[in-house]
Amino acid sequence: MSCDRGGDVTHFRVPKRTAPAPGAVAPASMAGDVPAPPSPGKGGALRWTLPKGWGESMGGQMRFATLTPPVPGKVDASVVVLSGDAGGELANVNRWRNQIGLPPIDGAELGRARRAVTTKAGPVSVYDFSSGGDGGNRVVAGLLLGQGDAWFVKLTGDAAAVAAARDDFMQIIGSLRFDESR
Amino acid sequence: MNHASQKAWEAITSLWLTIACLAVLMVLVVACTLAQVRLGLLGAVNVYMRSWFFWMDLGAFRVPIFPGGALVGLVLLVNLVAAQLRRIELSWKKAGIWTVHVGLVVLFVGEFVTGGWQVDARLAFEEGETVDWIQIDREVELALVDGTDPAFDDVHGVSETALARGGTVPIPGTPLSVRVKQFHRNAQFLRSSPIDPPAGVDRGAGVGVAIRPLAPVTSDDFMDRSAAVVEVLAGGQGLGTWLASNAIEAPQTFEHEGRSWSLALRPRREYLPYSLTLKDFTHDVYPGTRIPKNFSSLVRLENRKTGEDREVLIYMNQPLRYDGKAFFQASFGKDDTLSILQVVENPGWLLPYVSTVLVTLGLLVHFAIVFRRGARRAVPQES
Repeated sequence: MSCDRGGDVTHFRVPKRTAPAPGAVAPASMAGDVPAPPSPGKGGALRWTLPKGWGESMGGQMRFATLTPPVPGKVDASVVVLSGDAGGELANVNRWRNQIGLPPIDGAELGRARRAVTTKAGPVSVYDFSSGGDGGNRVVAGLLLGQGDAWFVKLTGDAAAVAAARDDFMQIIGSLRFDESR
Repeated sequence: MNHASQKAWEAITSLWLTIACLAVLMVLVVACTLAQVRLGLLGAVNVYMRSWFFWMDLGAFRVPIFPGGALVGLVLLVNLVAAQLRRIELSWKKAGIWTVHVGLVVLFVGEFVTGGWQVDARLAFEEGETVDWIQIDREVELALVDGTDPAFDDVHGVSETALARGGTVPIPGTPLSVRVKQFHRNAQFLRSSPIDPPAGVDRGAGVGVAIRPLAPVTSDDFMDRSAAVVEVLAGGQGLGTWLASNAIEAPQTFEHEGRSWSLALRPRREYLPYSLTLKDFTHDVYPGTRIPKNFSSLVRLENRKTGEDREVLIYMNQPLRYDGKAFFQASFGKDDTLSILQVVENPGWLLPYVSTVLVTLGLLVHFAIVFRRGARRAVPQES
């Protein structure tokens, strides 16, 4: 390997083998193939601030974005936008509960399970459900109704992995805001 | 020495100046600690402790309103040396005090060296992977890589300073130059709409993207999304304009005169004349808990120049020190198959140790001298 460190431009001649560790060498919070996310239905795009170590990729199938928490274990974090109220809050909460093997709840229990988080994008209803104890599954999800769209910001996976990523995830929810320029 | 010089000399050697400096330092420490909430650790240290003055914006003017840590440290250093020269006699009886003072001077100098020359970088590798470069996360560079050679890459890195300055930057040893049209330390990307000013990007992933500059992040928990709009020129002719960003992972490539190039904005990379291979990463926890007990990386160090080939175990508080750099175990990921090392290059890393030894030695010597003197005085009284 040779190198020239002079001035504004450095030069290194290096063997080709030095491929970066995916998701680790690039700034983790900057990951993503496409800089411009797909547009939501009517209003502005939802924005958030990633904690250190998190990655994101915009778009892909039904998703607005996929977030990558820097924790070991099976875990998935996503941002999904649907037009209207997407079937209502209770239906979506029961869908999340069903995904981790919990029975549905009614409107009264929904109110008790809800935790409201105030953000610049508006109030976000946050739910946190676990099943099967420490070795089971857990889902932490925020529902935001705003500008004619329903936004779902969800963290789900193994209970331990979700627990490890939960604090950062709540930071992301707290940082939600709408980009009005679009 | 005239009257004015005498007054100045007394002021410089005054114990009141020492106390005033220490009081100012206490204020700075409190302010710096509180500012970490707003600025992050490094930002607060740079603003309050590693600056000559604390500045405030007053309308169109930026004025210094309080001394910074660097200035206070320098004044303390001068005060310490001057007071030592003025008050303390040069004799063996005072050898301990002299040694303590020299130790303190070394400590001050060490902090200046650290503040001015320390470079923090990161090395991340997965088990089985060999890496011969580190990256400095707080700086970006525009990397132009000629990947035509099947065995080697020619990596040309345009510094962030050059990007921020703008203009045209020739790439030495190549027919290419780069015209920097925009550079933002932090920016937001939007799908371009008719009301957005055109970014002028006509090649690569940034076509149709609008760029909105943002203030750089200050918290340690977040990172900037940098952006550069650059036109690549060859012989004065434009080959295209690209948006380069550390948010774009996909390679952006082009061909020129039969050579294959790629272009990327990424954290500044420094290549090493040796390589490290992660053989095994271990993450131990206390039995029955998830509380970490130990992290360690078993690393193979190969240096072709020196023929060195050995294994090193890097674990908590036991860094690998090699070629002026210290590799500390910092983090991990990917189900304990990825290890992240913090790489610190500090030419003054030994100075705090030297200072500690000198101060300790000085205090011991001084204690021994005083003890011996006291013992001698005590003997006649007893007899």
